[in-house]
Amino acid sequence: MGTEARAAQQPALLSLRGLYAGYGGGDILRGVDLEVPEGSVTCVVGPNGAGKSTVLRVVSGLLRARAGSATFAGTSLLGRSPRRILDMGIVQVPQDGSLFPNMTVVDNVRMGAYTVRDRGLIERRMGEVQDLFPVVRERAQEKAGALSGGQQKMVEFARSLMLNPRLVLLDEPSMGLDPKTLRTILDQVDLMRRTGKTVLMVEQNARSGLRASTHGVVMESGRVRLTGSAAEVLDNPQIGELYLGGAMTGSKPSEPATMTAPE
Amino acid sequence: MLLNWDLISGAVVLGIFTGGIYALMASGLTLTFGVMDVINVAQGALVILGAYLSYAVEQHLHIDIFLSLLITMPAMFLIGMLLEVAFIRPLKHERTVFSILVTFAIALVIEGILGKIFTTNFVQLGANAWYVNQSFKIGGTYVGYIYLFGFVLAAVLLAGLYLLLYRTRFGFALRATVENRTAAQLIGIDVERVSAITFGIGVSLAAAGGMAFGATQTFDPGSHYDLISRLLAIIILGGMGSLAGAMIASIFMLVVFNVTSVVYSPTWGTVVFFVLLSVVLLVRPQGFLGRAEARRQ
Repeated sequence: MGTEARAAQQPALLSLRGLYAGYGGGDILRGVDLEVPEGSVTCVVGPNGAGKSTVLRVVSGLLRARAGSATFAGTSLLGRSPRRILDMGIVQVPQDGSLFPNMTVVDNVRMGAYTVRDRGLIERRMGEVQDLFPVVRERAQEKAGALSGGQQKMVEFARSLMLNPRLVLLDEPSMGLDPKTLRTILDQVDLMRRTGKTVLMVEQNARSGLRASTHGVVMESGRVRLTGSAAEVLDNPQIGELYLGGAMTGSKPSEPATMTAPE
Repeated sequence: MLLNWDLISGAVVLGIFTGGIYALMASGLTLTFGVMDVINVAQGALVILGAYLSYAVEQHLHIDIFLSLLITMPAMFLIGMLLEVAFIRPLKHERTVFSILVTFAIALVIEGILGKIFTTNFVQLGANAWYVNQSFKIGGTYVGYIYLFGFVLAAVLLAGLYLLLYRTRFGFALRATVENRTAAQLIGIDVERVSAITFGIGVSLAAAGGMAFGATQTFDPGSHYDLISRLLAIIILGGMGSLAGAMIASIFMLVVFNVTSVVYSPTWGTVVFFVLLSVVLLVRPQGFLGRAEARRQ
């Protein structure tokens, strides 16, 4: 059984229903319905201003939802602080560089386990993420700000795994990276999935993001327009024209993607 | 022009000592900006409040002004936390700009209350203390022991602050919040708690700075206007948010002021400093140790 098929059979780890949220006066999210199956890499694509990053901010507790529901493994997320949501097993790697540039690489990664008091556990986890991301060991004592963009992203990924989370939120991990580094970063996303993590990723680079994912979600104007397997989203002619610069070929969707008409 | 090197060397030493005291006062200001994006223009008034608290303890409890810090610093720490929770935390948008207005209002209220309680007569701390009245000679200049003791106090407290920042879990949380507030939240740091404690630390350092300030010169409730302009100049020159920068800039400012005062006149001391400040900022807009790039949010 393929990866996508296995993930599709899993129950939703994260479920958003009729979610409304925004900054200041207006709503950015206007009734978002979204499910993230356990063990999947779900990629959210869409034009600028669609509300993709806002979804992640609500899930991680940085932004309060105004209406709707958000449940993680059956437990509501709404009204919880970022710290409580972290404790539930959700970590976010934000879009605009989340390292502390004047701290060393190893201190940055160690800060990922800030909420853990057990030093032995922290060191065990450190060893594990150093095995997964060798740059953490190789550049351990260098200031994080001195690393290249791709290396910084690796360190951010490593830090996000220090709490052994169930769900990793990645906000535009490809931002500012050259194509070769992008490939490496997306390989690491797949590595996360293979180590048992569920990933919800927002990607501006829609084709690359969807190709590295098991599931795809297309958002527009604060609503979900399309959900399905990543291959289905890539092959959908309407979406291809709208967001991907032309329909993709070469994928074989097992079932048609669900198109949701805007309200 | 004939330069008197004895006088100049004495002015430099005095500038270093007094610079240490200013570093103590400015450290809270730069710390709160670094962590919270707040420009606390009440820092000058809080320094004066600290000085008056030491004055009250000295006058009524007859406790030495250095020992008075055991009472005033914890009290000011609590006052700082309360101010943060009541007036700074509610500022969710355009925090830097609004913080100037809010903290200026706090400064005016503090000034008004102090004027009511202590009147507007000038006072000085430790009028009967031997270290305020006796001096030792450096080069051709007599320097009061209070300057040396004030400098030692500043060095001890700033070393303690350094250890807090670089050797404790809270210090890691504080530095993480300075560098990237959003990322700090996302790894589980309670940035609001960090902010309140940081503001409290800044205000308690103002208490210590206020004691040293009030023992080296006379002051009244309105002394904060002159003080805050100097403190702001120091943290801008040092680099907004940089503690080490504030220390270097404090000593630079006071050495320039003192040397200019003995070479020309005290009137020119402030002018020369601000001219040099402008020149430094033209060459290095981020100040001595400020970050060149915009702060990440």
